[in-house]
Amino acid sequence: MTIKSRAKKKRSYHSSRMLQSAIVHVILLLFVFIALFPIYLMFNAALKTSAELFQSFLSLPKNPQWQNFSFILNEQGYKGALYNSLILSTSTMIITTVISVLAGYGFAVYRFVGKQWLFLLVLTGLMVSETSVLIPVYQLLQDIGLLNTYAGMILPQAALGLTFGVFLMTTFFKDIPRALIDAAVVDGGSDLQVLRHVIMPLARPAIMSLALIEFMWAWNSFFFPLVIATKQWLMPMSVRIIDFMGRFTFRYDMIAATTVILFTPILVLYLITQRSFHRGITFGALKD
Amino acid sequence: MARFNFRPYLFIAPALIYLGIWIFYPIINALVLSFFDSPTGRSRDYFWVGIGNYSKLFQDDLFLKSLYHNILWVLLSIAIPVVLGLLLAVLLAGRGRSRLMYASIYFIPQTVAAVCAAIVWRWIYDPSIGPLNWLLETIGLSGRPWLADESIVLIAVNMIGSWSYYGFCVLIFMAGLQNISPELYDAAKIDGAGALQRFVYVTIPLLRNAIIFVLVYTIIGSMKFFDLIFVATNGGPNEASTVVGLRIYWHSMREGRFNYAATMSTILTIVILVLSVVVIRQIVTEDEDD
Repeated sequence: MTIKSRAKKKRSYHSSRMLQSAIVHVILLLFVFIALFPIYLMFNAALKTSAELFQSFLSLPKNPQWQNFSFILNEQGYKGALYNSLILSTSTMIITTVISVLAGYGFAVYRFVGKQWLFLLVLTGLMVSETSVLIPVYQLLQDIGLLNTYAGMILPQAALGLTFGVFLMTTFFKDIPRALIDAAVVDGGSDLQVLRHVIMPLARPAIMSLALIEFMWAWNSFFFPLVIATKQWLMPMSVRIIDFMGRFTFRYDMIAATTVILFTPILVLYLITQRSFHRGITFGALKD
Repeated sequence: MARFNFRPYLFIAPALIYLGIWIFYPIINALVLSFFDSPTGRSRDYFWVGIGNYSKLFQDDLFLKSLYHNILWVLLSIAIPVVLGLLLAVLLAGRGRSRLMYASIYFIPQTVAAVCAAIVWRWIYDPSIGPLNWLLETIGLSGRPWLADESIVLIAVNMIGSWSYYGFCVLIFMAGLQNISPELYDAAKIDGAGALQRFVYVTIPLLRNAIIFVLVYTIIGSMKFFDLIFVATNGGPNEASTVVGLRIYWHSMREGRFNYAATMSTILTIVILVLSVVVIRQIVTEDEDD
């Protein structure tokens, strides 16, 4: 092979590599567009007038209608719904995180009779859906007088995220070097001291992840609140939006503003703490 | 251990009691309720009907249709977001830091509440002012009333689900790929394996755990979802997009037929359990082969 043809071959290899990488880039960017376009649409629609929207969804607003948000929050009484969402998600987050940390400690640190079975029992909770337990949960709440109360909305919601929490905490705590725990025990540390001074500091990122994910799930939750909170004063944002849609079917601008109000807090939270989210989401999948 | 140690039980007790009250007891209670019926709507004067509810259920065309839709949803969700997630993760694998940026953006739809996603996509699909038909008409194709056409509504709604789900799959597969050492690829390359062969014989087997996890997660999620379809179509048009979750909601909360709805819940639980076990068994037996 002459030097010339070798160079030529190298060049064509190069250009095919470049073409390949260009195609990959186009594909990756296409899915960036697909991910973000509906979100653009949501924010865009919230800032337009209803008349503008019926002309086009795509064009940018001529005069951004910032007052759409204040109108909803004040005149439509959505402040209360936002407050309800906050109560629901914060309480759910606290309940699941605390119980999961305790159970994770029990499962990860101790050996005891029936451990495998009990852990498996907890895991089966993952397969249970709101729709599977709706009727008994509804009747139970009715019997103890918790329908249309904060407690009634929060308690069953927290159960839905608990299995994931116990699983995540157990797998994380198992990774903590045994020697650290043993050393603390030898030094006369009680369980709660070990948990507080050894486990918690080391597992802080994991606990953070869990808390964030649980918060997001509860914030976005819909089914239990829809069924349990039928009084307007108690409805969280997600349910109030549907209520609102029923009454103002064609006020797309206002409906968009309500979706933006529901979504923005989670978006901001996610953007600040992405890594924490990712860690929590991926960990369960990869630890066998 | 010489002495019975009660302390671990103390730590796991809150979780077990909590799940017992809100998950396990309701599951059993739904099973019990499914063997009874009540004379009027919400009354609790139950009387025993044996498998009466079940035989009614399996003659209920609407229920069978909804169960079929759930199964179809499982298949669609595997065919589109899961496969797409795997491919995107592989494409991202060779990249440095930009990989994380892409994955972060792909994940954003997963943080959008299903309620919001359904609302926004209803606009995208809007036959008269929606951007999708506008786009299709601009490039010379004809638009369709996506959510009002019985033959495509389920696929159209599944696209909404896929939109919010593919980023999740990318994230899981990407993390799985990190655990694969590059030497394996180099070895395969030296042995003359092409890109496709490397994908089939190196990537897929080594991603097994991640794939199984995503499959089980997808099956469970596809069987139990509700919010998205409730807001996007409420099962319409003409029940062409109804799912079991909607039927349960309808029979219990609208009609007050709690026992009948509880029967559906029980079937749903059994289907999820069986499908998950089938997939999980698959790994267990493969492990034994190794």
